[in-house]
Amino acid sequence: MTLSLHHFLMLSAIIFGIGVYGALTRRNVLGILMSIELMFNAATINIVAFNHFLYPDKVWGQGVVIFVMTLAAAEAVVGLSLVLAIYRNIKSVYTEKLNLLHG
Amino acid sequence: MLELGPLLSRAFQALQSWVILHGVPPLAAWILAKAIQVGVLVLLVSLVPMVLVYAERKVAGFMQARLGPMNVGPYGIFQTLADGVKLIFKEDIIPVGSDRLMHIMAPMVVVSPVFVCFAPVPFGKGLIPIDLDISVLFIFAISGISTIGVLMAGWGSGNKFSMLGGLRGAAQLVSYEIPRVLSVVPVLMVYGTLSLKSIAMGQVGLWHGFLPKWFIFYPFIGQLAFVIFLIASVAETNRTPFDIPEAESELVAGFHTEFSGLKFALLFLAEYAYVFLSSAMAVALFFGGGDGFTLGGWIPSWFWFLGKTFAIVFLFLWFRWTFPRLRVDQLMQFCWKFLLPWSIVNVGLTGLMILLRK
Amino acid sequence: MERTLPTLIFACMAILLIGLSLIVVTARSVFRGAVALTAALGVVAALFALLGADFVAASQLLIYVGGIMIIMLFVIMLSQRPLDHLDRQTNEQWVWGAFFALAISCALIMQFRAVYRGVFVTTVATPTTASIGRLLLGDMVVPFEAVSLVLLAALVGAVYFGLDGKDRT
Repeated sequence: MTLSLHHFLMLSAIIFGIGVYGALTRRNVLGILMSIELMFNAATINIVAFNHFLYPDKVWGQGVVIFVMTLAAAEAVVGLSLVLAIYRNIKSVYTEKLNLLHG
Repeated sequence: MLELGPLLSRAFQALQSWVILHGVPPLAAWILAKAIQVGVLVLLVSLVPMVLVYAERKVAGFMQARLGPMNVGPYGIFQTLADGVKLIFKEDIIPVGSDRLMHIMAPMVVVSPVFVCFAPVPFGKGLIPIDLDISVLFIFAISGISTIGVLMAGWGSGNKFSMLGGLRGAAQLVSYEIPRVLSVVPVLMVYGTLSLKSIAMGQVGLWHGFLPKWFIFYPFIGQLAFVIFLIASVAETNRTPFDIPEAESELVAGFHTEFSGLKFALLFLAEYAYVFLSSAMAVALFFGGGDGFTLGGWIPSWFWFLGKTFAIVFLFLWFRWTFPRLRVDQLMQFCWKFLLPWSIVNVGLTGLMILLRK
Repeated sequence: MERTLPTLIFACMAILLIGLSLIVVTARSVFRGAVALTAALGVVAALFALLGADFVAASQLLIYVGGIMIIMLFVIMLSQRPLDHLDRQTNEQWVWGAFFALAISCALIMQFRAVYRGVFVTTVATPTTASIGRLLLGDMVVPFEAVSLVLLAALVGAVYFGLDGKDRT
């Protein structure tokens, strides 16, 4: 039972699904951010697996993955500073308290 | 002649062929040989901090015009053993309001990466456990995992002061990682490889017959890079003058207040093992790692490597008893406003030097 | 034996990764979820190493575990109340969330199985650092410079949001 491309792709699909479940159902804003990080990682596993199995002599996938990681870092930093600003204002990090624009 | 490297590799080949002769598959024989090497490395990394603790207390004593430990064994050489036995027998207290799992796992997360980090270090000719092509990046990446352990220790202690101590400690560790990595970049630019073994081998030889080709002798960039790496490593290992997170008189010993017994021993071991690792890296990157006159083959390369490493460890110990402690905001300002600009300038100057050399 | 060792390693890492991800999305205490996420990112780095991408594996550990997760743990530690771990962590739309997650992952799995089954490769892993360096400064130099601008914007934004009200002039 040799390792093939579809094993890695199925694993990344499962992790992506778990990340989607977390992003849609967590009450804590930080929990949502963590699920988004899970989704990013599932995508990066996908890209590197494609690179390794379909184009073994090129490294374009790995270059793209470095950019994805950098952008995920930038997004996480801005998101977390927003969470800190929210916490400073309403003293809570739960999504049902963030309803100032609610109709 | 006393070179252990070729001798050991021949011994492991002989062991593997003997085992295969008795009907074991080749992969299992290779795993067995690697497991023995891993065991020796783990043993070395566990024993060297014990020696370093004793050395620190003796050096501290001599610098303060007193003798240090003298009671346990001749000249006090069994002092660390006695300390270890005492810590093992201490009661293991877990605070009531804390997260039990985090409290138990925090010392493990702090200590485990340091054993892994020693794998690509070239201890001498042929004495490198595994020669990775990305060894410098590997060591920096894995030592970043210990910072998570510091945060877990702060959270698992269950009181606000330890949590603040953990946050401060993690902030210091993350801040000083940047000048540390940037100060190594000139070395990587000049030798064109991330492998510690190739960098150490590239420094063998003499300029004009008398000056060794070590990186530290390069005009201005070598010394600047070494000084920034040394200061950043002292801060990374939480040694004085940067030991605000864990000093006994600050925040009641900071993030490791609530850890007693074996857990405290593990955190202590991690700190001294990181001191040894930083010195070994500095030797391999800046001092030629194993290079030195061999007297016709009588002085082996591992002797030179360990000698230079312990000389830099002595520098670490010397700093502790010479400089007063920095306040946490002075510490952060020093990192971001002094070390970081100079390390970037260093990278630029190295680029200029490489351009002019062509 | 040589052909099944990578499969065995992959199976162990896959089970570990799925278990840790489930802890991330269902833990009552967000701190435990974050620590589980850190471990999951470490396992993903090991998967990258299994796929022969050594530089990317070390970068994953350096950036994600040594950077992003530390900041996330910081914010969690600074914004938690003592009795938080007694609330439930899922909102009342969890049925629809689970349905969508299952739908997306089943669709992806079925598609991947159909198209990419049986793609093998037998090359030996080579070091990738030099090739990635040449790629980043050769064919991908425009995204490289653009990403540095994005990082500058993120830095300035994060610092601005972290300032107090009276400093924001």
